[in-house]
Amino acid sequence: MFNWIGLLMPITYIGVLVGSLATFSSLYRKRKAAKAASLAPWFGPHVPRNVYLSLLHLEPAPGQKSPAVPDSVLRAALLRRATEDIHRVLAIRSAKGALGVLVQRGSVGDDLWQRFQRAEQEIEDELRDVVIEANAFSPGWGATIFQTANEIASNAIIRKRVDDIQAQAKSETEWWEKKRATIQSEFMKELNSEGSSEGPAPSPAPQKTPVAAPIATTTVQGGSDEDTVFVEGGGPAAAGAKGSAKKKKGKK
Amino acid sequence: MEDTFIQLPLQIDPTSKAISASTSYESKPLSAELAALNTLHRSLLNLDTPIPPPPLPVNPKRSAQIQKLRESGNASFRKGNYPEAIRMYTFGIEMAVGRPGWEPSALVRDEVSALYANRAQAHMAMQNWPQAMIDAESSVEMKRVGNTKGWWRKGRCLVEMGRLEEAMVWVGKALDVEEDAELKALAKEIEKAVKKNENV
Repeated sequence: MFNWIGLLMPITYIGVLVGSLATFSSLYRKRKAAKAASLAPWFGPHVPRNVYLSLLHLEPAPGQKSPAVPDSVLRAALLRRATEDIHRVLAIRSAKGALGVLVQRGSVGDDLWQRFQRAEQEIEDELRDVVIEANAFSPGWGATIFQTANEIASNAIIRKRVDDIQAQAKSETEWWEKKRATIQSEFMKELNSEGSSEGPAPSPAPQKTPVAAPIATTTVQGGSDEDTVFVEGGGPAAAGAKGSAKKKKGKK
Repeated sequence: MEDTFIQLPLQIDPTSKAISASTSYESKPLSAELAALNTLHRSLLNLDTPIPPPPLPVNPKRSAQIQKLRESGNASFRKGNYPEAIRMYTFGIEMAVGRPGWEPSALVRDEVSALYANRAQAHMAMQNWPQAMIDAESSVEMKRVGNTKGWWRKGRCLVEMGRLEEAMVWVGKALDVEEDAELKALAKEIEKAVKKNENV
């Protein structure tokens, strides 16, 4: 019986030890989890996904038959969601190698790597989810939806690039009109200083400035033969007398 | 994020089935997304099948039409009717770009590149250098390899506009991608012109 009192000390000791260790461990884990959760997500909000799920949960308006949203709209929304996923998968894949090297060298913090891995995990789940949803709409669509989404994504990129380039056309044309006007005036000054008695011989591009065209013809009629040749040679290209010989070659 | 999402206050128009956000929740990315969604939905409705078909095989109808537009453009070009040729090529480009998104993008690239290259040539024939340059650049952007004509045409346009520095850079880039006698000749010509300008 007296044994119990003697044992009380060590048992309390062990109890306190184990208890404090357990408390520390649980607190530490909780804090770590909170920290991980507070890390900023890799990507911004997934708008198409939110739209799709919101449409799925859209309540039918009072007095209307369900479902509120026709299947065709949902299919389109799912396709948009898959397209956005493709963008994300591409971003993840292209970032992975570089980020891996940076983390190995210690150039970037561990936080970034954790965020990245979480994003990778999320996108995997997301892809699986989309395939399941697609198969639910029509069996077998899950196999092709990402092919389709991939083409949609790259087609969008192509179109944007072409549009960007074509958008410059206006400013380029304006620039060229201005430059051509200055070249033409210089060209005419040169002609006048040479003292040609024919007067000004404007050399506009015929299809661009129809107003000036009649002047050119009258000049040609009134002027000498040499002048006629000159208008043809240097005129439309309007790059000055220096380049006229070269210009002719280029047009062929 | 796995099982959570943000519920958006969306509305559906009962007749047109167009989706819109309620006005209190308007934001730029959301309205852009909804516009894209509605466009996609309309193009999906034009299909015979409920889901978009896989990228291959391609519906041959549109390809044939584009081919035809290009050929009639080429015919007008040979006859010297450049504005008509440009019109035909422009139709062709619109048609190629207007392909539904799920059709193969490689095909779109090929078609658009060829049409822009041809349109550049027609613009060059009319000495409309800036537009020709833009078209040639578009063509090269769509197809970098195996597109000597596109590379050459933009170089030529730059020379014609007297932008020799840019032309030199451009042709240098072109020669990195392509080995071509005409491009080399153009490079030499530019060099000569630059020297001549320095002497003057």
